[in-house]
Amino acid sequence: MKAPDRKSAAAGPKPSIIQLLKPYSRLILALLLFALLSNALNLVIPKIVQQGIDNYGKGVFDVKHILLSFSLAAVLIFIFMYFQSIVQTYASEKVARDLRTRLSAKISQQSYLYIQEATPGKLLTNLTSDVDAIKMFVSQAIVSIVSSIVLIIGAAVLLLQINWKLGLIVLLIIPVIALTFMFVLKKVRILFKKGQEVVDKLNKVINESILGAALIRVLNAQATEYNKFMDISKEAKSLGMSILRLFAMLIPVIVFTANMARLAVLALGGHYVISGGMTLGEFAAFNSYIAILIFPILVIGFMSNVIARASASYARIYSTLHAPDTVDGGTVSRELDGNIEVKDVSVFYGEKAALKNISFEVKAGSRTAIIGPTAAGKTQLLYLLTTLTRPKEGTICYDGIPIAEYRQESLLAQVGLAFQDSIIFNMSLRENIAFNTAVSDAAMDKAIRTAELQDFVATLPQQLDTLVSERGNSLSGGQKQRVMLARALAIEPKILLLDDFTARVDAATEEKILENVRQNYPGITLLSITQKVSSVKDFDQIILLMEGEVVASGTHTELMAACPEYVQIYDSQQSLPQDQES
Amino acid sequence: MNYSLNTDQKTSTRAALGKMLQFMKSEKRELFLAFFVMLLNAGITMLTPYLMGYAIDHYIAQGNYHGLAVFSGLLLVMYIIWAGTEYLQTKLMGGVGQRMLYRLRNEVFGKLQQLPVAFFNQNKTGDLISRINNDTDKVNQFFSQSLMQFVDSIFTMAGAAIFLLCINVKLGGASLLPGVLILVFVQLASGWVKKKNAASMKHTGGLSAEIQESLQNFKTIITFNRRDYFRKRFDDANAENYKAAIGAGLANNIFAPVFGLFSNIALLIVLVYGISLIAAGSFTLGLLISFVVYVQNFYMPLRQLAALWAGFQTAMAAWDRIALILEMKAPSDGAKVPELNTIKVSASLLQFSGVSFQYPDGKKVLHDINFSMEQGKTYALVGPTGGGKTTTASLIARLYDPTEGIVYLKGRNIKDYTEEERTGLIGFILQEPVLFTGTLRDNILYGNRKYQDISNEALMVLLQETGLDRLLIRFDQGLDTPVASGGEGISLGQRQLIAFIRAVLRKPALLVLDEATANIDTVTERQLQEVLQLLPPETTRVIIAHRLNTIENADEIFFVNAGTIITAGSLDNALHMLLEGKRES
Repeated sequence: MKAPDRKSAAAGPKPSIIQLLKPYSRLILALLLFALLSNALNLVIPKIVQQGIDNYGKGVFDVKHILLSFSLAAVLIFIFMYFQSIVQTYASEKVARDLRTRLSAKISQQSYLYIQEATPGKLLTNLTSDVDAIKMFVSQAIVSIVSSIVLIIGAAVLLLQINWKLGLIVLLIIPVIALTFMFVLKKVRILFKKGQEVVDKLNKVINESILGAALIRVLNAQATEYNKFMDISKEAKSLGMSILRLFAMLIPVIVFTANMARLAVLALGGHYVISGGMTLGEFAAFNSYIAILIFPILVIGFMSNVIARASASYARIYSTLHAPDTVDGGTVSRELDGNIEVKDVSVFYGEKAALKNISFEVKAGSRTAIIGPTAAGKTQLLYLLTTLTRPKEGTICYDGIPIAEYRQESLLAQVGLAFQDSIIFNMSLRENIAFNTAVSDAAMDKAIRTAELQDFVATLPQQLDTLVSERGNSLSGGQKQRVMLARALAIEPKILLLDDFTARVDAATEEKILENVRQNYPGITLLSITQKVSSVKDFDQIILLMEGEVVASGTHTELMAACPEYVQIYDSQQSLPQDQES
Repeated sequence: MNYSLNTDQKTSTRAALGKMLQFMKSEKRELFLAFFVMLLNAGITMLTPYLMGYAIDHYIAQGNYHGLAVFSGLLLVMYIIWAGTEYLQTKLMGGVGQRMLYRLRNEVFGKLQQLPVAFFNQNKTGDLISRINNDTDKVNQFFSQSLMQFVDSIFTMAGAAIFLLCINVKLGGASLLPGVLILVFVQLASGWVKKKNAASMKHTGGLSAEIQESLQNFKTIITFNRRDYFRKRFDDANAENYKAAIGAGLANNIFAPVFGLFSNIALLIVLVYGISLIAAGSFTLGLLISFVVYVQNFYMPLRQLAALWAGFQTAMAAWDRIALILEMKAPSDGAKVPELNTIKVSASLLQFSGVSFQYPDGKKVLHDINFSMEQGKTYALVGPTGGGKTTTASLIARLYDPTEGIVYLKGRNIKDYTEEERTGLIGFILQEPVLFTGTLRDNILYGNRKYQDISNEALMVLLQETGLDRLLIRFDQGLDTPVASGGEGISLGQRQLIAFIRAVLRKPALLVLDEATANIDTVTERQLQEVLQLLPPETTRVIIAHRLNTIENADEIFFVNAGTIITAGSLDNALHMLLEGKRES
């Protein structure tokens, strides 16, 4: 794995969340339309009440008329609100679903290196909580903000219409509340950001304690984990308390300001009514409009937080969506002979070289072993050969053509890699082995026989259709490893790469499997990482890799004669004469 | 024991609420205080419109400036007190919510630590993580943001209802009638809404499990040309999630329009009925204006409740999912005085007596196993893959309990040991090494209480004494080499080295190595063998390995195949069995 040498942050204009909504303009318009209609009608209701009171005062009260207009308004409000809620649900879920689809399509195009750099955890956040934040924005913020603005403007106009002097005084509360909000939210946002970091830390502890559950129990380290968790949990609590204190300040200020407006209406409005500048009905309406006015101001305040969160999330999603495509577009598709040439290849992990100037050749149809101590860079080499990583320096060629010129799909369809770590998907054994869908039944059958899995499969309750799982108890370590081999063989590769595949398979089975490969896949080029000299003694070539460098290469006999390090490895496996021949 | 969380257990809202309230027990004083403050707050909230109505009827309508001024002053004082109570109630109730959440979070995590390994094996990692992170967050959102509004709304409504009835019983009763209808509606709809939300959450968990699996295994997806696999599996999960989310969204959004309709109906009742009352002379215009305000005071919070109600249902559905974890029974920690008949006088350190083991899915892995292991000896378990070696080792470390028979440790039923005693005696190096984010030092001292605060120098001395220091050269920054839990930048062999050092440093009486060195080169493995030789002579070692030279020093070899264990005698004999023996794996 290479160090991040390429900035993943997307350059260019700052992503705007509004752009995201363009394809949904119809839905959004419908949403706004219904929201505006229901809110506008909501403004009419106090007007009807006012008219009723005034008309009664004037002695021209008409029950039928009031009943009719009021009922009509109420029913229409209900219908519009209901439609709005439906459109709102569909719009927000559609945006979320499509965004997830786009993200997954993009991620699925990326290279292994990109996934490692971006970290699966961050991509998971992109696909889940970041998308949720945007969903929240669509479902709540858009409607709330637009209808709040409409309500404020509408209420303000009506207030000014009834009595502009009193109206102006009442409207004074808007800047007061807005400023208070801005002041508090600025502080709260910093705390929210810190809070998110604490939540991430909490999640990390939770995740590690789930993944390491067995070890924690073996070491009786439950208390250690609990204390680790408690520390962060305390931090989360005190942050929550700080946020709470800010809100505890904010709410009384707003309530008090709003009440001052009410008091002003009572005192001044009372004066106007007494002096004849205002009717009692108007006075009542004034009171209702204040209630209508205050609520949307609060909504805008709280929604500004939702918007801030959604913008931050969208910026993160945007950078994932617009990360440069890392999959290179080679065009060569041809049938491989199986010749591999690695020339002066170096790979760095951070500052440290994982592989230094590696060169070797593998002839088509030959068998090559790579042997070497822990952390010598052996697995890295196989990752290079399967385009999972790219060399910092040097070239890798298949049949004389550089690896980058091959179409990745065509190349990988002919190179089978059995990974060292067991990767089992939560699906049936059949799907796990025939992981590539192009695999025919005959090819799968051959692969299963070669990997000596047929007896095991026969004991399963539903044979190949038995569900297996990543962590369950359904497969032992050795069985998993053989499934990995069968998966690699099932694509009928020209080149087979084995990463320490024999580590968890007993010697007798290993012997049988290697023999099966030779018989069932004639002409296959084999490159095998192994620890056991005995199983590769008759290979055409053995490469000794130590600390990222090729120390020696040759046949077993040549290395025994020329390479002391190899002899040391050989000796370390020799105390038992039966072993090598078994 | 079945630890699967995928059961369709139904809990009533009331029972769930009751359990939740237990987390508030210690908050009695705060709750009492908050209750008092809220009462005061609600009283003032209610009183002020009444005072306004009074002022309108008696001063504005009469043109009395003095009275108006007095009342304005009175209202000003009330508004100040009101602001004060708002502050106090936010702080008190919010504090209760925060502390309760803190306790809940710790309780869930604490429970997770008590549960056995079987629990983690029976549930998907992604789903567990979603349950603990996502669902506690849903409960969190409700408690930290909505609880106070919730309680406040109920208080305001109660107060408004009282005033409405006090001012005029008939008009008040009539105006509250739509509220009763709302209550009926909520009763009818809540179960359905909660079910929809639970379904949606289940699919969210499934989606996150899907992403987790695919991203962790991305290299397989690439090398087998299955980028479409990720997309397809994801698209399916995404589509299902969409469907469930739409269902939940539609259910959650039904409340607002219905509540709005009923509150408007209430207003209409007040207007028409109120005016007819005024016409009959039993009501005044000023009172009607305050009455309109009270009706709004009653129905406005109700509308807020509609929005909160969906959040409440979501929190309840999330709570159900968490409660499933909290209700899981952890196996009892031994710690009891062993009964006489469970003590066996025997020289052996460890003994299996008629042990059988069966996984909850019905697969029987071990059949009537009997063997014993003595102090200071080295034992090897060999046999074909899938024969039961790892299961045997797991029973020794009590990661599982046998379904039949007893495992004796030092003559005592292993179940009768406290965890502390047992884990102090037994060291177990797992097949899959586990790392925690931190440094190499953090990882090799993980869970090691004895050396937790040891200096690096003293630790080096310790490593030298045990012969472990030579292994550190495989790490370029020594003890300070950074380690990530995903193991990026660290090879499988290195991870196994860390696990090895970690286990040996604890100096257990019984050390089990389950293919613990499988991916380590043979030269380094030699060094590990030497380390094992350096352990105190009374240490018993149990080694599971495929490389025969790893087990050549064993005093006794057990051949494990198809769930049975037999003594192999010599290594030759074991080899013979491996080659010739019938394989039932």
